[in-house]
Amino acid sequence: MRRTVGATLIAALFVGLGVAGCGDDDDSGGGGSGGSINVAMVDNPQMKDIAKLTPSLFTKKSGIKVNYTVLDEGTLREVTTRDVAAGGRQFDVVMIGPFEAPQFGQNGFITDLTKFSASDSAYQVDDIIPAVRNALSLDGKLYAAPFYGESSFLMYRKDVLQKAGLTMPAQPTWAQVADIARKVNTPEMAGICLRGKPGWGDLGASFTTVLNTMGGTWWSAKPDGSVDTAMVDQPEFKNALQFYVDLIKDAGEKDAAGASFNECLSQYKDGKVAMWYDATVAAGLLEADDSAVKGKNGYAPAPVDKTQASGWLWSWALAIPSTSTQADKAWKFISFATGPQYLKEAGTKVPGGWAAIPPGTRKSTYQIPQYKKAAAAFAQPTLDSISAAPIDNPGTTKRPGLPGVQYVGIPEFQDVGNQCTQQFSAVIAGRTPIDTALSNCQDVASGVGG
Amino acid sequence: MSAEAGPTAVGERRWVNRVFGGLAWIVGLLMFFPVFWMVLNSFKTEADANASPKLFFTPTLDEYRTVTESAGGLLSFSEAFTNSIVIVVASTLIVLALAIPAAYALAVRPVLKWRDVLFFFISTKFLPVVAAILPVWILARELGLLNSRLVLIILYTAINLPLAVWMLRSFFAEIPRELIEAAEIDGASLRGQLTSIILPMAAPGIAATALLCVIFAWNEFFYAVQLNPVEGSTMPIWVTTNVSTRGDFLAKLSAASVLACIPVVLAGWIAQKRMIRGLAMGAIK
Amino acid sequence: MTTTVRPRIGRVIPPKAGRDSLLSESWRRRLPLLPALLFMILLTQVPFVMSVYYSLTDWKIVPPGPREYVGLDNYQHLLHDHFFGSAIWVSIQLTVFPVIVSLVLGTAIAVLLDRKFFGRGVVRTMLITPFLLTPVVIGLIWKNQMFHGLYGVINWVIEKLGGTPVEFVSEHPTLSIAITLVWQWTPFMMLIMLAGLQSMPQDVVEAAKVDGAAPFGIFRQLTLGHLRPYMELGVLLGSIYLIQLYDQIAVMTGGGPGSTNVPYYVYQRSIGGGWEFGQASSYSIVVVIASIVIATFALRVLSGLLKGEAAA
Repeated sequence: MRRTVGATLIAALFVGLGVAGCGDDDDSGGGGSGGSINVAMVDNPQMKDIAKLTPSLFTKKSGIKVNYTVLDEGTLREVTTRDVAAGGRQFDVVMIGPFEAPQFGQNGFITDLTKFSASDSAYQVDDIIPAVRNALSLDGKLYAAPFYGESSFLMYRKDVLQKAGLTMPAQPTWAQVADIARKVNTPEMAGICLRGKPGWGDLGASFTTVLNTMGGTWWSAKPDGSVDTAMVDQPEFKNALQFYVDLIKDAGEKDAAGASFNECLSQYKDGKVAMWYDATVAAGLLEADDSAVKGKNGYAPAPVDKTQASGWLWSWALAIPSTSTQADKAWKFISFATGPQYLKEAGTKVPGGWAAIPPGTRKSTYQIPQYKKAAAAFAQPTLDSISAAPIDNPGTTKRPGLPGVQYVGIPEFQDVGNQCTQQFSAVIAGRTPIDTALSNCQDVASGVGG
Repeated sequence: MSAEAGPTAVGERRWVNRVFGGLAWIVGLLMFFPVFWMVLNSFKTEADANASPKLFFTPTLDEYRTVTESAGGLLSFSEAFTNSIVIVVASTLIVLALAIPAAYALAVRPVLKWRDVLFFFISTKFLPVVAAILPVWILARELGLLNSRLVLIILYTAINLPLAVWMLRSFFAEIPRELIEAAEIDGASLRGQLTSIILPMAAPGIAATALLCVIFAWNEFFYAVQLNPVEGSTMPIWVTTNVSTRGDFLAKLSAASVLACIPVVLAGWIAQKRMIRGLAMGAIK
Repeated sequence: MTTTVRPRIGRVIPPKAGRDSLLSESWRRRLPLLPALLFMILLTQVPFVMSVYYSLTDWKIVPPGPREYVGLDNYQHLLHDHFFGSAIWVSIQLTVFPVIVSLVLGTAIAVLLDRKFFGRGVVRTMLITPFLLTPVVIGLIWKNQMFHGLYGVINWVIEKLGGTPVEFVSEHPTLSIAITLVWQWTPFMMLIMLAGLQSMPQDVVEAAKVDGAAPFGIFRQLTLGHLRPYMELGVLLGSIYLIQLYDQIAVMTGGGPGSTNVPYYVYQRSIGGGWEFGQASSYSIVVVIASIVIATFALRVLSGLLKGEAAA
């Protein structure tokens, strides 16, 4: 007995250490004949689709094995920002958006893709929708290649509006939309679904577009483009926030303070809301075969107030960290994933069919006959929204930082946006008075810049 | 000695037992309900799971199939499962290998400052994990340990060791002095004392401690996702890959969670009797 | 070696007298402790010292800047940070409330389970399960299944009973998170209390019954008295883990007034968007110091935990 116990303990120690040693190290892990690369992606369905198709469509031809790491948006940012900025060398390709791309490019964290794309004729870099391409570039240099693009627009139930005797104008204003929402609002079906969940990319995105078009801004800008003063305490800001909060209170969805894309999607498909202002990619889901509201929806451009257009612009794009030692292989992958060929092949291979291929990146997508047919209801409105997104001049005054619609192109916006939207979300939930929230937010925002 | 077990006393006891038993069943079912509902959801389609609560529906294994099919270069169920098993088993064994002698030195033949040592061990848990991640990440990167099983084994050992030392110390302190002294008189060395007396007597307590270490290590998410997003990823990471920010995910998440929790749940269910006996034998006197 | 017979309480074996033998004796005692101790010192003190160092710098990585020594600036900033104050209050709420409630519930359930009845093993098994789930999963299923404003089970029940649905997570974030914590930790407390109940010497209880004591009196004085050290262990361990709470907050509310506790706040200042490592480190150091102070005080009060170890 004692010998066994003693031996077991020692054996356990060895087994433990030995097995530990069997762990894989960073990079590596046995690739195909062409090596392997590590790619970090966000957890959207389009990304998962390409991950499943990669072995047959990419690895077979190039011999390069691709290791995907799929993370939710928040964790993705944590991991990839730290990786590119603090030299983690964990990834060869990272998925970022137009918020990070110019900033990282400016800081030298990611590789300039212009040379790669220019010498790769199959890539057809000029096919990329100009608005999307510019958002991911700085000084004419392309820093990230778009895989997926979206803007925002207003989705509404044509049948519900018709029954109420209302029509949606071709270019609605927020006042008109709010009016319609309040008129069609019933206890069973809310008038409109608006995001309320805290986060600079959740409530922050949709609120900022409202703020922009109503003449407000987060900060004023100095002539050189740097941050001047925080403008959260200005009347325009309060008006915009009050409008947003009141609209939700009067005609908004249930549990608004926790609602983002997914929650509104559920409620809209379930017939619990009549209108929904959110990302253009939602249309693909609403018109999918398994959607209860297929064929019942109309799509209007993002409502405006004082500006001509207010839809946001976002894309998930692939970039190469400067610390990667496999930039060539990384580009081969990027060329596959964001090139025109994948879009043509994916249509017949992904579970959602043609309507589910990554939207909003290339002009050629919108020429594919099968896509035009499957996405007939929303393809043109999507393309129009993306092209019209006022990225260089989203509001009525000059903004500091790099271009952006639903965010301010300064690194501090992540934190300020997160903290402020937490306050605003509490206002939506009725837990905090609006003035307290605004004053807290002004405190936070004032900590930035001069 | 209520041996006056006349008919009324026995009847009373049985009645009280039945009432308490009934209450216990109600409480048990209520506590278990969210888990039950999660298992139910795992057999629904996404459409069913994200609508009003339904007890009756057509069950399907689709979501289980979706989450377990290995796809391209994505983290697969089997890879995450293997990683988790290896990491958890290795770290728990190392914890025990370190904690048993330490507990001996704090309970059986205590060092002079054993109270301070115990306090030190518990104080290592005061630094928030979300803060320690930064130095840990930098160290791991410098040592080339990012995305390896080894780094998590080391970290989980460090996380669980204080708990193990605290608990094992109490169990060892329970062992009757006389037995140990008798072994000493017989000239037994430390190893001898351990194997002949201490370990057998404290075996239930050791099992209890090991189970808690397994639970905490298996379910740890933060360090795992920050340090091993590419390789060496564990089950909690795999579970969260089934969450989606653009689409319904509740049924998939439920299926994934059921699969992820089975090993620990099984271990817990089997070991709970042992654990209670272990805690009874020694926790705190 | 005759000694007074003591009940089963560990007794310290004192070191032998004499200088030489004292030295080798105390080293012989220390030896088994060293591997564990050295391992922990290496693994925890190095990151801790690094954190202290970072807290004295203005290190930000986005936008990147040189890491410069700024002394106690971060700590001064902390004093004026009223968000940190709110985070501390939330931390207190999310530690004290769940620990106490789960302790009470756990004790009550343990009392129920202490008797034999049909299917006791099954019930005990069902009751343990909440503690075995991954915290992220617990947060998500409570948020989406139970608390959901439209589709949640709790609101479905409320509606059937004629009430109006409550938006739990939006309107009562602290309470919602606290409920999931209670649900998660009650099994833990229950197990500890069960162990305590089952280790209670029955002869004393029987003697009291013979003396005619009422069952409730027995429970209050004898049972609870015996259980006190177990309760203290439960409170200590539960608090240590709950202070570090992060997962449920991240998945249920994403932070905000009423649900951001200290770890979540530190997270937000560092990798959660602030990328201000210097400042975040200073907050953590403050937390560590405060915890040490509180724990020292608490452990002195919890005499029962370490009683009986007094040298012979």
